[in-house]
Amino acid sequence: MFAKRQDSATRVDTPPAMDAAEAARIAFEHDLPLSKHHFVEGEHPVVRIEHLNKTFDGVTTVLRDVNLNVWNGEIVVVLGPSGSGKSTMLRCINLLETPTAGHILIDDDEITGKSAREVARMRRDVGMVFQSFNLFPHLTAKENVMIGQTKVLKKGKDEAEAEAIKQLTAVGLADRADYKPPQLSGGQQQRVAIARAVAMHPKVLLFDEPTSALDPELVRDVLGVMRDLALHGDMTMIVVTHEMGFARDVGDRAVFMEGGVVVEQGLPEEVFDNPRHQRTRQFLGSIG
Amino acid sequence: MRHGCTCGRGRAWVLAILLACVLALLPSVDALALTTNKATARPNEDGGSGVIGGIATRLTWEGTVEEGEEVSEVTLTLPEGGSFDGTSTKVTALEGLSRAKVEGEATPAGNRLTVSFSQPVSAGMLLRLEVEGMTFPSAGGDVVVGGTYLDQSGERPLADSKPIRTIANTPLQMMVATLDQSPAVEAWNANPFLGMFFKPQLLVTALFSLVPGWLLCLLIVVIAYPFAIVLGLLFAFMKISRYRPVRLVATLYVNVLRGTPLFLQIYIMFFGLPMMNVNINNNVLGVLVIAINASAYLAEIFRAGIQSIPLGQYEAASSIGMSYFQTMFSIILPQTVRRVIPTVTSDFITSYKDTSLLSSVGVMELMMFSKNLTSVSGNMTPYVAAALFYLVVTLPLIKAVTIIENRMANAERGGGPQHHKGKAAAAQEGGESAGEKPSERVMRAEALGTDPAPAPSSMAPSLASEV
Repeated sequence: MFAKRQDSATRVDTPPAMDAAEAARIAFEHDLPLSKHHFVEGEHPVVRIEHLNKTFDGVTTVLRDVNLNVWNGEIVVVLGPSGSGKSTMLRCINLLETPTAGHILIDDDEITGKSAREVARMRRDVGMVFQSFNLFPHLTAKENVMIGQTKVLKKGKDEAEAEAIKQLTAVGLADRADYKPPQLSGGQQQRVAIARAVAMHPKVLLFDEPTSALDPELVRDVLGVMRDLALHGDMTMIVVTHEMGFARDVGDRAVFMEGGVVVEQGLPEEVFDNPRHQRTRQFLGSIG
Repeated sequence: MRHGCTCGRGRAWVLAILLACVLALLPSVDALALTTNKATARPNEDGGSGVIGGIATRLTWEGTVEEGEEVSEVTLTLPEGGSFDGTSTKVTALEGLSRAKVEGEATPAGNRLTVSFSQPVSAGMLLRLEVEGMTFPSAGGDVVVGGTYLDQSGERPLADSKPIRTIANTPLQMMVATLDQSPAVEAWNANPFLGMFFKPQLLVTALFSLVPGWLLCLLIVVIAYPFAIVLGLLFAFMKISRYRPVRLVATLYVNVLRGTPLFLQIYIMFFGLPMMNVNINNNVLGVLVIAINASAYLAEIFRAGIQSIPLGQYEAASSIGMSYFQTMFSIILPQTVRRVIPTVTSDFITSYKDTSLLSSVGVMELMMFSKNLTSVSGNMTPYVAAALFYLVVTLPLIKAVTIIENRMANAERGGGPQHHKGKAAAAQEGGESAGEKPSERVMRAEALGTDPAPAPSSMAPSLASEV
C-alpha cells in the first residue's frame, strides 16, 4: 500500500503554465486584495498550486482545476462541506495523494512527478498535522518530536532533544515529554503532533481538520496552540477546518471550496460577512 | 602318519611344561583346604541387570572343602566401602547332591563377615553362603571377595573370587532403591492405572535419563528460531512487495509449507537429501527443518502484523520526510514486534512441541528417549515424564503470552498499572478518557444527544484511493 501509492495515477505531464517570476507577479496582483498578508514587493508564493486535478480510479473527480497561492507567513483557512476536496488538496501538497494533473510548486520547485527520494526530501519542507493525530504510539512525546530531526535532518541526539523540549514547552506539554501517546488525551496528542511538525521547521504547515476528532472541551487547547503559532511565529499555514471562529480570527485569507472547486476566496471578514456566491452563503448558513 | 607323529610329540612337549608348572605351584595349591568356586551377586538395578554398589543385594559365595581337611570358620572380606552390616546369612552345605546338616553363626562387622560353624565342615563338601542385604562399595568397579578361613592348622587366607562387576551408585539409584523398598510405593503401583502411568521408580529414572533429550529439543528450537524469524521477516516483506513475481515466490513458499504436514517435510528432508548424496548431521538437519517450517508461519504472522499498522502511521512518517526504509525500521517494525510477540510466542511453543516429530527419523530428542525407556520397561511412565518436560517449558510461555496480551490491551486503553500518573492527569483534563477513538467519541456523543463534530470531508474519496 505504501509502495503502491507512488505509481498509482498516471499524470498528465504538461509544464507549468509560465515561469516563476511571471507567475509570482500575476499571483501577487491577484492575491493582494484577497489576503491580510503583508505582501513584500517581488516575493514569490511558498506554495503555488496550478490547475490541480485529482481523480480517484479514473471515475471520481475530487479536484477540478484548483489554483491557489500561499505566501510566506500567510495563514490560509480552507472551508467547505464534506467531500468538497479540501483534504485531498491538502494531501496533494505533500504528495500523500498523487495529483492526476496540474502542478504544485514549493518555493518554485515542482514537486509532482518526482522520484521517491526527491519526494521524501520535499516532504521535510511540508509539515502536516492529521485529524487522527497519527503519533507514533511506541515512542514517548519527546521521541515523537525527536525522531524526524534525528532520522531525517540527521541532527545529534542532544540538539534534537533540546528542540523537542522547546517545542513541547511551546505547546504547553513539557511535563508530558516522557509520556507515551496512549497515556495522553486527544488534545494533548494533537499538540504533540503539532510540536512534531513544527520541530522540522517546514516551509509550510498543513492542518487537516486538526480538531475534528476532539471532544469540544479539548478543541480550545489545540486552537490556542495554533493561534499562538499563527500570531507569534512566521509559520506559513494552510488550515482545513470547521472552526469558523478560529478561521475568522486567525486567517489571513479564507478559501471556500465545494465540489472540488475553489468557489470563493478572500479576506475572512469578506467571505464570512459578505459571501459573493450563493453556495458560500448556503454553507455558512447551514453552519451558523 | 608322519604328520600325526609330529603332532603327538608337540602335545607331549606342552604337557611336560604344564606339568612342571603345576609341580612348581603345588605347595601353595596343596596348602588350600578351602577353594573358592564362585562369588556372584543378585542384580539390583531397577529394570536392568547390573549390580549397583551402595544398594542392598545378595551375595552368593561358594567354596569346596578339599580332601582331608575340615573348616570351622569362614571370614569373607569386601573392599573398603562394602558392608555386611545388617545382613542375614543362609548357610548351605552340599555333599554330592544331598544337603548336609551344617549350622553356622554369622557375625557381620563392617566389610567382614565371619561365619563359624557349630561343627567343622568336612572334606568334599560344597559350602554355600548366601548373604542377604549386603552392599558393595558405592564407587562401583570390579569387586573381589576375599577373606580367611580356619582349619585344623589355624587361620589361612582364602583365595580371591573372580571379580564381580558393579556399577557406581548415584543418588538416583539410591532414590529408586528407597522407592523399591517403600510399602507405600508398592501399594501405589498395585493400582493398574497408577502403576502403568505414574510408577514412581520409573518417573524418577525417566526424569533423569530424559534430560539429554530435553536439552536437544531446546537446543534445536532455540537455534532454529532466530533463523526462522529472519527467514519469516524476509518472506513477509516479499509478500507485501510491489513486484508480483516476488509476491508469488513468497506465497508459494508460505502456502506449500503451511499446506503440508511437518511430518512429511521431515521425511522429505531426512530421506531425500541422503539420496542426493547430501549428508548432513541429523541434529543440524532437524534445526533446518524446524526453522524452515516455522519461517512460513512467522512470515504470515509478520505480514499480518505489518499490515495491521494503520495507514496513518505511514503517512505521519512520510510527512516528516522519512524514507520507506526509515519508516519500516523506525516506525512500522517496532510497533509490529510489539503486536506479534504473543502470536510469535505461541508459534514458538508449537515449534518446540514439533521437535517431537524428529524422533521418527532418529534424532535423539525427548520423545526418542522416552520411547526407548518405555519399550525397555513396558510402562507408560516415561511418556508422562516426557509430558512434564514439554510442559515445564510451554506452561510458563503460555502464561507469559496471557500476561503480555493483557498488558497490551491495557496499554491500548491508555496506560497500564505503572501509568497511574498519566491516567490521573488525563482524567483531570475535562474527565475525558485518554486515547479515545474518533468513532467511540461519535457514538458517545450520539448517546448523549449532542452532535458529533462534522465528518471529515474528504474521508470517502481518500479511503477509496487506499482500498
